[in-house]
Amino acid sequence: MNENKAAQIRQLETDTEQLMEKIRQEKDIKKKQKLIAEREKKQRKLTAVRNNRVLSRETKRDLVAYSFIAPNFIGFAVFTLVPIVFAFALAFMKWDGSNEITFVGIDNFTRLADDTFFLAAFRNTIIYVIGTVPLTMVASLALAIVLNQKIKARGFFRTVAFFPYVASLVAITAVWSMIFHPSKGPVNYLLLKVFGVPQENLPKWFSGSLVLFTLILFSVWKYMGYYMVIYLAGLQGISAELYEAGSLDGANTWQKFKYITWPQLRSTTFFVVVMLTINCFKVYDIAVMLAGGGDGKLSTSATVLVYYIYQNAFNYWDLGYSSAIAMVLFLMVLIITLIQFRYEKKINS
Amino acid sequence: MKRKLLSILLTTSMLAAVLSGCGSGSGGSESAPEPAAEAESAPAEAEEETAQAPEAEAEETASGEAITLKWAIWDKDITPYWQAIKDTYEASHENVTIEMTDLGSTDYMTVLATELSGSGSEFDVVTIKDVPGYATLVSKNTLEPLDSYIADAGIDLAQYGGVDKQVTVDGSLYELPFRNDFWVVFYNKDIFDNAGVAYPTNDMTFEEYDALAKQVTDTTYGAQVYGTHYHTWRSAVQLFGVLDGQHSILDGQYDFFTPYYEMVLGQEDEQVCRNYADLSAEGLHYSAAFSGGDVAMLNMGSWFISTMIANIQSGEYDASLCGNWGMVKYPHAEGVEAGSTLGTITGLAVTSVSDQKDAAFEFVKWVSGEEGAKVMAETGNFPALMNDEIADIISGLEGFPTDAESKEALKVSNLYLEVPYAENVSAINDILDTYHKSIMNREISIEEGIAAMNEEVGKLGQ
Amino acid sequence: MSEQMENKKFRSKRKNAIAGKTLVYIILLIITAAMIVPFLWMLSASIKSNREVFLMDPFVWIPEQPKWDNYIKIWTKIPLLKFVQNTVFLTIVVTLLQLLTSSFAAYSFAKLEFKHKNALFLAYIATIAMPWQVYMVPQFIMMRGMGLNDKLLAMICLQAFSAFGVFLMKQFYEGIPSELCEAARIDGMSEYKIYAKIMLPLSKPSLSTLTIFTFVNTWNDYLGPLIYLKTETKKTIQLGLKMFIGQYSAEYGLIMAGSVVSLIPVIIVFLCLQKYFVEGVASTGLKG
Repeated sequence: MNENKAAQIRQLETDTEQLMEKIRQEKDIKKKQKLIAEREKKQRKLTAVRNNRVLSRETKRDLVAYSFIAPNFIGFAVFTLVPIVFAFALAFMKWDGSNEITFVGIDNFTRLADDTFFLAAFRNTIIYVIGTVPLTMVASLALAIVLNQKIKARGFFRTVAFFPYVASLVAITAVWSMIFHPSKGPVNYLLLKVFGVPQENLPKWFSGSLVLFTLILFSVWKYMGYYMVIYLAGLQGISAELYEAGSLDGANTWQKFKYITWPQLRSTTFFVVVMLTINCFKVYDIAVMLAGGGDGKLSTSATVLVYYIYQNAFNYWDLGYSSAIAMVLFLMVLIITLIQFRYEKKINS
Repeated sequence: MKRKLLSILLTTSMLAAVLSGCGSGSGGSESAPEPAAEAESAPAEAEEETAQAPEAEAEETASGEAITLKWAIWDKDITPYWQAIKDTYEASHENVTIEMTDLGSTDYMTVLATELSGSGSEFDVVTIKDVPGYATLVSKNTLEPLDSYIADAGIDLAQYGGVDKQVTVDGSLYELPFRNDFWVVFYNKDIFDNAGVAYPTNDMTFEEYDALAKQVTDTTYGAQVYGTHYHTWRSAVQLFGVLDGQHSILDGQYDFFTPYYEMVLGQEDEQVCRNYADLSAEGLHYSAAFSGGDVAMLNMGSWFISTMIANIQSGEYDASLCGNWGMVKYPHAEGVEAGSTLGTITGLAVTSVSDQKDAAFEFVKWVSGEEGAKVMAETGNFPALMNDEIADIISGLEGFPTDAESKEALKVSNLYLEVPYAENVSAINDILDTYHKSIMNREISIEEGIAAMNEEVGKLGQ
Repeated sequence: MSEQMENKKFRSKRKNAIAGKTLVYIILLIITAAMIVPFLWMLSASIKSNREVFLMDPFVWIPEQPKWDNYIKIWTKIPLLKFVQNTVFLTIVVTLLQLLTSSFAAYSFAKLEFKHKNALFLAYIATIAMPWQVYMVPQFIMMRGMGLNDKLLAMICLQAFSAFGVFLMKQFYEGIPSELCEAARIDGMSEYKIYAKIMLPLSKPSLSTLTIFTFVNTWNDYLGPLIYLKTETKKTIQLGLKMFIGQYSAEYGLIMAGSVVSLIPVIIVFLCLQKYFVEGVASTGLKG
């Protein structure tokens, strides 16, 4: 054992010396650096062996770091990463969860083009995203700017604005469907009595062409407070000096917004828009609860992608097809995120 | 060297964690062929078992070996007959214990399909709530074909009045019906009395029914009375069309729905019935509508009879609003026999993973046979095995309307299942549901809706 | 002359400022009303009878005879207590696990150097952009294979290890000067001790933020429990409430009472932690 150790030490010593020689002779800077690094490595190992340490410091360091990550990462890998890989594979299979899996290539994707319900779901989801993302962004930014000023009862206003986000969807959609009830709700009552809209023209908020509008309105209402908080955080990161300088230059409120606030908030806006887009593509429960009626089924005017994924998976047990739709959903999110990354980069450079 | 080894070890152990997840993930998929393989061998196995059946049974009774059957049901607390069936069966079969698992009634068939997918299910007997779910389970090879058992037990399927044929899959039957509900028209006698209008009868054409509904309607604000009410299910409206016996929802051509959509939408316009968009927005339950005392007529399944009786007795429904009720046969088209109506069967099936299929079938046979029928009738429900004696039990229940017409209404001449079996019936069902919704919400016209139904169902056949 | 003009200018500026302030308040009040009226309506409807709920003429917020017994009835109509118990259990376990594991992992990502750090972190980031719905079906199949179908444990596994939590906490820890850790290391503290003694006490705001997010999400989750929890005794309050609405569609008072009950715990948690909240978001660098 001891002899072994002595031999190892001797070996390492000669190695380091040889490396030292090489370094002296090497002209190319890059190669030289590489050799130096290698020598250092050997030397560290040498001290490790000399001091009788089993693990080198790096290994120990790595182990400690991994021990921090492991509890979360194992759960994350098993319950998130693995299913994701599985989802990609499943999109090219046909499987009903019981019988044998068969590989079908891109059949699942070619089917999509001729599927009325998929196309309706796709269209509705896009409309919903296009409607909700900018509206929520503008509303939450405006609210954040107002609530960042020194006004009375600021804390109260902030809390109230955040309330809808906290409230459970089931409860709050129940309230909405009462308030917007097509014939008995207070909103339509006001339209009828105060604005004199004739009874037969009263809007049916939860069906037909209006339903997507109602979904968008509801989402803006519910999620505005959440994004407001993020914007508030962003606003607090802008130094007051910038505004003072602006005031000295005689900038008015709009100019201050345009030349200071907006550019300073760019990264916040980027984050908000990305998160909003992702969340909007996921829309499911809002649609089912507001437009689903008693049986929670959505007609072509209100169906959304996730609803159709759910239907295919758990009603028809066409797991491959539902995975293919999920891939479309993923691609949409990916493309939009990438475009935003590009744009962000372009502006930054 | 050692350091490298260690880091490799570490990463591999992390990878292993990932892979173990992977393993169990693909484990799920690898296990998939198993049930299929089992199902393939199932007929052979079944034959073997049935060959041994008499022996096994003799053995059972001799030794009184304890058997526990796991049974999937829904809404245990509010459905009286599960417990009654269990108790009566256990009383006459001392060695058998029935263990019920309540999967809830919302999405029952979806939940059941999930339970039965892959391996690991412990159910021996499962209740089949609707035909689309039945079709799914059959195509997933999770149910045992019952033909050989039926033949061995010498069951005469004719006693089910032909409904068994509507759920036969490629010549095989996978369930036996034990409950059979049919649709009737419930009406509130007080409303008719107040309006001075004659009660509906057991022999109404749709024109007469429509006229009657309009006659009894009162649109005065604050004292509104609706002549009739249609629940949001498509069955409540479009299936008037299948009563002539010449059409079915499997046809692929749905133009025969048109007159009925016209009738119902016309009634909505005149406020003869509540408007679909309102009903849908508030998710109004038909029981709430009828028990509220402002609905004169309601077409609904016979399951509502026991609900009415029980809730009026318990005081849940206000008897002064809806206590004086009766029922008549479904209206019929000109030239069609009165008493033709829609039906829904509830069946029992044996799972293909069960390891005590004989005992399970014994139970299924009992419940769907005469003894089971009696238990059903005594709890106010309609067994699939219907005869005069059973009808007497039900119409003799306390709380059942006392007039002769209501008793007569229980006599069915032709029964058409709301959803008969077809391989892609789930998809057809959803297509019809979707466009029903669109038509009733007036998002599209009747013609457009029906054209869309024809087109989408047509696509399935390709 | 010029002085006068200055004065005028100043005065008009002040006038403008006051007008602007008033406008701001008016807008704020309108928004606040829009935000809060549905909740007031909910409270009001929860003590009304079915007929009073939609009575517009005259409309009253508090009926003459408030039906407080709506709040008693809901506990007997559906097993609400069981649902609340399940949800409370689930939410607390998930929140704790989430806080613990993600702050743990985040510390490592923010303050330690190790092999494959970037690759591992990339795996986290990439999944943030991946909607859960994309892989919910395979995930379900996998969980069922593990025998987790219809188990509360499935919901815990599903929600406790989110990439978002790690990301959030890492952003926050990066804002804490590394010198603090270095000094501690020189003093001979182990990494675990540094995490427990130095980092954790500093991370109150971000932990509060993560608590609110996790608590709200778990408490209000609908699709997850809908897929995984089948037996009635295992359902969460959201599923229970939805079931209740389906069964007692016309009992508006009861539905609203149930809704109010389902909101109370989240609102309590939110109000307790909200003073750290904006600060928390700001310090986590969520702004980008």
